[in-house]
Amino acid sequence: MTSYLFSILVLVSIAGIAALALNLQWGLTGMVNFGLFGFYMLAAYVYAQVAATGASPWLALAAAIALTGVAGALTSLISLRLADDYLAIVTLGFAECLRLVAIHEEWLTRGSLGIANIVRPVAGDGAFLALCLVALLLSFGLLEVIARAPLGRAARALRDDPLVAATTGKDVMWLRVKLFGIGAAITGVAGALHASYYQYIDPTQFGPIITAYAFMGVIIGGRGSNRGVIVSAFTVILLLEGTRFLNDHVGWLTPAQLAALRLILIGVGLILALIYRPQGLVPEYRLKVRVPAPVEG
Amino acid sequence: MSAPLILQGVTAGYHGKAIVHDVSLEVPAGGALTVIGPNGSGKSTLLKSVVGLVSLMAGSMRLGEREIDRLDAPARTRLGLAYVPQERNVFPNLSVADNLRLGWETLHGRGGALSRAQGRARESARRDEVLALFPEIADRLATPAGLLSGGQRQMAAMASALMQGPSLLVLDEPSAGLSPRNASLLFDRIADIRATGITLLMIEQNVQLGLRVADHGVVLVNGEVRLRASADHLLHHADLPALFFGHAPALSS
Amino acid sequence: MIDTLQILFNGVVSGLLVALPALALALTFSVLRFANFAIGAMLTAGAYAIYAFNAGLGWPLLPSALAGIVLGGGVAMLVDRLVYRPLRERSPVTLLVASMGVAFVLENLVRFVAGNAPVGYAVDPARPLRFAGLRVNHEQLLIVGIGIASLALVWIVFRFTALGRAMRAVADNAPLAAARGIVANRVIGATWFIAGALATTAGMLIGLDSTLDPQMGWNYVIQVFAAAILGGISHPMAAVAGALVLGVSAELSTLVIAPHYRPLVAFAVLTVLLLIRPWGIFGTARLAK
Repeated sequence: MTSYLFSILVLVSIAGIAALALNLQWGLTGMVNFGLFGFYMLAAYVYAQVAATGASPWLALAAAIALTGVAGALTSLISLRLADDYLAIVTLGFAECLRLVAIHEEWLTRGSLGIANIVRPVAGDGAFLALCLVALLLSFGLLEVIARAPLGRAARALRDDPLVAATTGKDVMWLRVKLFGIGAAITGVAGALHASYYQYIDPTQFGPIITAYAFMGVIIGGRGSNRGVIVSAFTVILLLEGTRFLNDHVGWLTPAQLAALRLILIGVGLILALIYRPQGLVPEYRLKVRVPAPVEG
Repeated sequence: MSAPLILQGVTAGYHGKAIVHDVSLEVPAGGALTVIGPNGSGKSTLLKSVVGLVSLMAGSMRLGEREIDRLDAPARTRLGLAYVPQERNVFPNLSVADNLRLGWETLHGRGGALSRAQGRARESARRDEVLALFPEIADRLATPAGLLSGGQRQMAAMASALMQGPSLLVLDEPSAGLSPRNASLLFDRIADIRATGITLLMIEQNVQLGLRVADHGVVLVNGEVRLRASADHLLHHADLPALFFGHAPALSS
Repeated sequence: MIDTLQILFNGVVSGLLVALPALALALTFSVLRFANFAIGAMLTAGAYAIYAFNAGLGWPLLPSALAGIVLGGGVAMLVDRLVYRPLRERSPVTLLVASMGVAFVLENLVRFVAGNAPVGYAVDPARPLRFAGLRVNHEQLLIVGIGIASLALVWIVFRFTALGRAMRAVADNAPLAAARGIVANRVIGATWFIAGALATTAGMLIGLDSTLDPQMGWNYVIQVFAAAILGGISHPMAAVAGALVLGVSAELSTLVIAPHYRPLVAFAVLTVLLLIRPWGIFGTARLAK
C-alpha cells in the first residue's frame, strides 16, 4: 500500500509541476503550448544522458532545466507576434519532431531501446518523494511570486488584450518569451523527475497525453490559479492513473483498449471542462478594481 | 410593398445595462423617420435593436402585422427588413457583384416556385433597377467591395440591401465618413429610394441631410425621446442645441 | 532527367494527399476563425469508417467510400453541434483546446474499436504502370484522379454556388451576413460537412497508398498545417498550392533526409515561413473594413 501511495504522490507532484508550468505559460500569459510533452521529454533525455556520463545527478538536473528553458524561449520566438494558433502548431511541431528524433537517432537517444539505469539525485523512496514535493512547492512558490509581481500583471494584461499584444513594443514581447522560457524550464523539472523516478525512459513514454493532462489540470483548476491547478492535477491523476489498476478487474477489455478508453475520457473531460467550467474550481488572484460601465452611443 | 414599423416602450442595451429607455415611435408604411441626437444618445443601439442585433429588455416591436421583438436578425431580414450598418457594411473580399447577389439570395435563395431561369431573370431585373439608382458602381461589379472609395462603398452597401426588395430600409448614419459633396449626392439617392415607396428608418448625425429626406423626426437624448415632430418643424423651428445639450451654446451661428 | 520527373510526380502525389485536409483546415479556419487540431483525427476516423464498410461489411470500395464520406461529413457536423457550438462565443484558444479534446476522442475511439495493428482495405493489388518513363502505380493514379476531382468540386461550390457565397460572406463579415439573412449555423454545418468529407477522402487515399493505423492522421497534422499556412490562411484554395509546394519539397528532401522525417521538413518550412512571411506565399493583408 505504501508503495502505491508513494507512486501516486510522486506522479501527482510531477503532474502538478507540469500543470503549473502550463499555468504560467497559458493561464497567466495566454500562450498556448501544445508541445508541452516535447519539453518534458527533452528534459528527461538530457537528464538521463548527462547523468549517464557519470556527472552528479544534480548537475544533470540543472542541465535539463536550463536547456529546456532555452528551448522554450527559442520556440516561442518563432511565432512571437502572431496569433495563438501559430504558437500552438509551432510548439506541437517542435514536440513531434523531437519525438521523431528520439525514436530514430539511436546514437543520441538509443532509440526504442531507451536509456536504463538512470541515477536518482537522492537514494531511497522517502527522500525521493521529499525531493518531488519540495520541487512542487518551490515551483508553486515561484509562480505565486511571479503572479503577484509587476511581471505577472503585465503578462495578464497582454493575455486579456491581444490587440495590445500585437502592437506592443519589443520590451514587452521579450517578457512573453521570458515567461514562456521559465514555464518550459519548470516543465523540465517535471521531465527530469520523471526520468529519475522511472529510472528508465524510451520514446513511447512521451506523447500528447502528457500535454492533455496538463491542460486538464489548468482548465479544471482555473486558469491563473496555482492552488486550483495543483488540486485538479491531483484529482486528474488519481482518477486516471487509478484506472491502470482496474486492468485486473475489467477482464473483458484489453490493456490497449483501457489505455484508449483513458484517453477518450481525458478528451471528453477536456471538452466538458471547457464548456461547463470555464472558470475552474478556484478563482484567479486578481487585484480588485472598480471600473465604471462603458457608455454606448 | 412597404410596411409600417411600430415601436412601443422599447428598452434595450448591453450586458444588462439599458442604453435606450422606453422609446416609442411609429413610421407609417412608405414614410420616413430620422432619429437625431448627440453622440452617445443611444441612436445606434436603438437601430440595432430594431434590426435584431441587440435584444429588447422591455417593450415591443411590430413590422406590418408581425411582432418581431423575439426574432433574430436573419428572421427579421426574411420578413422584409434591410439593414445598412455604418461600418463594415460590405463584404470586403467579395466582389460588388457577389455582394449584390447575397442581398438577393437572402430571400430568394432556393427560388421556391420559380424555375432557375425565372429566378435568374428576376434577379437580373432587380439588379438593373438597383444599379439604375447607383450607376457609379455599375462598372465596378468585379471589384472587391473593400477596394471601393468611401462613397462608392456606401452605395454598394445600400444597393446590396435593396436587392432584398425590402419593405423597411434601416440606415445607420449614411453620411458617416463621406465628404459633404458625396454625402449630399448619397442623400439624393436616398430620396430616390424613398420615391419607390419603401418605409425608411434612419439615424443621422447630419441633421440637415437626415431631415431633408424624412417626413418625421425624433430627437433622442440619453436614450430617451425628447421630441417627436415633423421633419419640417425640427429643421426650422425647434431649438435643437437646447434639446441636444440642455442649454444654448455659447457660440451662435 | 527521369529521376527528377519521378520525384516531381511523387511530390505532386504526396502533395495532393496533404492538399485535401489542408483545404478542409483552411475552410473551417476562414469560416470559423479557429485552427482545427482534430483534422488529423478526422482523417483517421474517416479512413476507418470506409474500412468498416469495406472490410467489415464486405462492400466494394466505391460504395464504402461514398458511405464513409457521408458518415465522415456527418460526424464532423455532429462534433460541431456538440462541442464547438456551445463554445462559439468563446476565445479562439478555447476552441483550439477543445479541438485537441476532439482529436483525442476520435483517434482513441478508432483505437478502442479497431486496435493498434495496421490494417488495409480489401482491394486487389495491381502491378504498377509505366507512363512516359515514369513509374506510376494504381494508387497514385487514384490519388491524382480523386484528389483533383475533390478539390475541383469544392472549388466550384465555394466560388459559384449560393452556399459558397454564404460561406465566404460569413468568413468575411459575420455580423453583416446575419443582417443579410444568412443563418450562420447552417452555413457552419455545411462547412464542417465539406471538411469532414475532404478529410475522409484523404484518409482513404492514404489508406490505399499505404495502410491504416490509428496514428495515420496525427502523423499528417504538421504537414497539413504547414501547407495551409504556406498557402496563406486567408484564401482557402491557396492551401492546395501550399500542399503541392510542400509535397515536392518533401520529396526532394528524401534525396538527403530519411522519409520518416517528412514532418521535420514540414516543420522546418513552417518555421522559416513564420519568421519571414507568415501570411503565406499567396496571402495578402486581408481587407478588413
